[in-house]
Amino acid sequence: MEKTCVEHRELRKVPCPSGFTIANLKAESRAIWESNIKEWKIELAYPVGFLRSLIEPIVLILPFLIYGLVLVGGRYSENLKQLVGTGDIVSFIFVGYMIMGFIGTAVWAMGSSIRREQWFGTLESIYTTPTNRLSLVLGMALHSTVHQSISTLIEFTAIYTVFGLALKIQGILPTLVIFALMMFALYGFGIFVSALGLVLQEGWIVAEGLQSIMMLLSPVAYPLAVLPNFAQQMSTVFPTAPALEGMRSFLIEDYTLKTVGNVFLHLLALDISWIIFGVAIFYLVDRYVRGRGALGKY
Amino acid sequence: MNAGKHILKTFSGTNYFVVWSEIVKNIKILLAYPVVIVFWAIFPVFWFLPFVFQGEAFVGGLQSASFAEIAGTPNYVPFLVVGAILNSYVLTSLWGLGESMRREAYQGTLDYLLASPCNKAFILIGKAISESINSTFFAISQIVICVLFFGLEITLGAIMPIIFIIILLIAGLYGIALMLAALSLQYKQSHDIAHVLDYVFYIFAPVRYPVQSLPLWGQLISKLLPLTYALIAVRSIIIMRQNVFSLYQEMLYLLVMDVLLIFLGFYFFNWVEKKTKKSGTISQY
Amino acid sequence: MDSALVYDFADEAYSIQTVNLTKLFRKRRHFGIFGFLRKRAKKKESSGRKEDITVALDHVNVNIRSEELFGLLGPNGAGKTTLVKCLSTTLLPDEGTAIVNGFDILKQATLVRSSIGLAIGGERTLYWKLTAKDNLMYFASLYKIPRNHAKERVDELLGLMGLSDRADERLEDYSTGMRQKVAIARALLHDPPILLLDEPTLGLDPTFSRQIRNLIRELCRKEGKTVLLTTHYMEEADEMCDRIAIINDGKIVAIDTSTNLKAMVKETELVEVACYNLPHNIEDDLRALCPDVEVITAFHGEEEKGNPSRLKIMGGSAEKYVGTVVDVLREKSARIVNLRIGVPTLEDVFIKLTGAKLTERGRSEG
Repeated sequence: MEKTCVEHRELRKVPCPSGFTIANLKAESRAIWESNIKEWKIELAYPVGFLRSLIEPIVLILPFLIYGLVLVGGRYSENLKQLVGTGDIVSFIFVGYMIMGFIGTAVWAMGSSIRREQWFGTLESIYTTPTNRLSLVLGMALHSTVHQSISTLIEFTAIYTVFGLALKIQGILPTLVIFALMMFALYGFGIFVSALGLVLQEGWIVAEGLQSIMMLLSPVAYPLAVLPNFAQQMSTVFPTAPALEGMRSFLIEDYTLKTVGNVFLHLLALDISWIIFGVAIFYLVDRYVRGRGALGKY
Repeated sequence: MNAGKHILKTFSGTNYFVVWSEIVKNIKILLAYPVVIVFWAIFPVFWFLPFVFQGEAFVGGLQSASFAEIAGTPNYVPFLVVGAILNSYVLTSLWGLGESMRREAYQGTLDYLLASPCNKAFILIGKAISESINSTFFAISQIVICVLFFGLEITLGAIMPIIFIIILLIAGLYGIALMLAALSLQYKQSHDIAHVLDYVFYIFAPVRYPVQSLPLWGQLISKLLPLTYALIAVRSIIIMRQNVFSLYQEMLYLLVMDVLLIFLGFYFFNWVEKKTKKSGTISQY
Repeated sequence: MDSALVYDFADEAYSIQTVNLTKLFRKRRHFGIFGFLRKRAKKKESSGRKEDITVALDHVNVNIRSEELFGLLGPNGAGKTTLVKCLSTTLLPDEGTAIVNGFDILKQATLVRSSIGLAIGGERTLYWKLTAKDNLMYFASLYKIPRNHAKERVDELLGLMGLSDRADERLEDYSTGMRQKVAIARALLHDPPILLLDEPTLGLDPTFSRQIRNLIRELCRKEGKTVLLTTHYMEEADEMCDRIAIINDGKIVAIDTSTNLKAMVKETELVEVACYNLPHNIEDDLRALCPDVEVITAFHGEEEKGNPSRLKIMGGSAEKYVGTVVDVLREKSARIVNLRIGVPTLEDVFIKLTGAKLTERGRSEG
């Protein structure tokens, strides 16, 4: 039977708002918020895991700090000063490691979000609701961002208490702007990784691999200048590289950065690119997985 | 007579078959995931690269005089490489054997495993051996990468002593992993305990820096870890080119630790298994 | 009101219409390293690709009227869940389409999802670490229900399900039946006109099953909802459904009311024999001796455990062949413990139409 589109006409009432209406946008925003609340409730149902995750950033940064202090024989590195204008290795590493947790947000929290729903058995249930699937992923991203912010605050308190940190207070506001720009791009990257998790059985390997590569190419524990040229070129693709350079220039005294303005433009370009790329891949994979009937399979 | 029969029964062919079956099963499952094999064979190398670059940034080369004062060698790269390779045994024992019971529970096979008439110790031995085979394969792959790209030098004469030290390390780690596996039967958030153990090794084991860089209390914790002695011994052989017989102290500590940890591991596992069967929570996850 | 694309075949009297709905699955093979090498070695010997494709739905055409309680009856692997997944837009068909509440599942998926409530039986589809109330409030937000209305609606539904006093307990502490009630409550949150219930009583005890069935009937009769109910329990379909579609191997074999379906075998009496030592070739022997008989099926039970084997024969008047059946069985030293002549059931209709038992396992549904 050949179908023909005859005309548009009103039919049965649909109980949920749809389309580009205020009501629908409000509903999607609420869905994002409730996804975030749901993630919090599930996380707090495992109190030991929650507490552990809060102190994890402190654990992960310590070896870098101890190793750096041992190598240099103290807190001050002449070689680092020549490279970036500051020799304070503790402040240098701390600013880098602040970002490390947010890389985890993109790769693990967002990246594994859809896969986790599959594991719970709830993916098909949430996919049969009229809420946009990206809203669900963004809700989980919101949870992870807030969670990581709390962990970073705890990390800051601990490192400041034990080692002391020399950071410029007036640099906080521009740092937050850079952080926000970086997070938009990381969200786009995270949406891309979440799509991979749907289509690859061993998605955690891809996530782990991507995190390792991103960390290697980001100036988390060392300036970009020590990387080979090809690696420095590759690092421009990730938002963490320009973000870290920008943040350090605002937060750390004497930190030299060639042009600060370029950081904002660079991040803006990455935001647009990663969001478009991530969303496109997400919808393509969504279609592919629904075609294969693999939504319910873990 | 009865004790003799019991001993014979313990070492009978069926028990060896249990061990063999467990090894074959685990390896077949691993072979079903070729991507996982490639990952573990290569990626642990990526995890120490940031430390290499960090070293270059802070000291401007591949040697550090300050490092030499504590570690006994200015070459921090081979120091890191040895740490990374041996640390991968910690990762596979904690997340492999340690989490194996939890994985059985997820798959729904734990009840059947524990209801089987064989001695559970042999199942655990089978799991431990299969994990050792996996870890050794991955370690060899990582060593080849490090020899080719990071200038790691291993003389022929060093190979047998290193293998011996690694066997001692594995035995101790599996004692710890058994206790973790036991906890996962009773306590459903064992994943977090595995993480905490991982953190302890991550900070206090001399994987990236010598034991002496830690404060006194940190050094005490470090000396309770089998990895510490294994690292000191292997580095002494590869980097310092010391004779293996001069490392008798480290070997002895490792041996004593192994006996203690393995005994504790099996005892704890049996105790928790009985407790969990009584409470009826064995297959919940 | 929402507009919809209109097709010349679309009929407003129908809530759900499927048009040549087809779904194929490629069999995935898990090779591992050595299997991959074996596969490459065998590639040249492969005779063709037909055996690699499973036809889960084969040009299915079904029209479900508004406010109808429509049953989809078939064994495991028949295509019931595949059809439900296509209608709920979580599975894309390879051919054809469906119109749900006037919306095309391919082009207007969001509007379709707004129009349906889905409840799947026997699976983990809720968050066990959350309370029933938390689960429903969360899904209420996904169904775009304003917050103040959501609270009222959740309380109302928990009351309807008899779970008000346990609303703040985690689902991990609920029984299977209680969780299924929460799943159905979720399907009702946004008061959709259409409910897709995929084996909602699977794994439930008789008490809960009855409660669920009564609830479904009420939803259809009193609230005017269109319900598509899939099941492999023929009593359930027989008892509840206005019309029943029998599906097997992805094809709709028959659609009609239960009465009319049973009337297909009305002229046929059923003889059912329970016996021990049932010979293995009894079907061939009886067909040779009773050529007019329509269906003969033998089910070999675990006789050593006291479960007798069963022989079912359908065909015209039982009087004509029952004597022959008894004689053959006696000759073959079978020990008859029970003989019944009765009216066919839906299962008998299924056997007649497909030649297979309703509870026989087919291929797994994708």
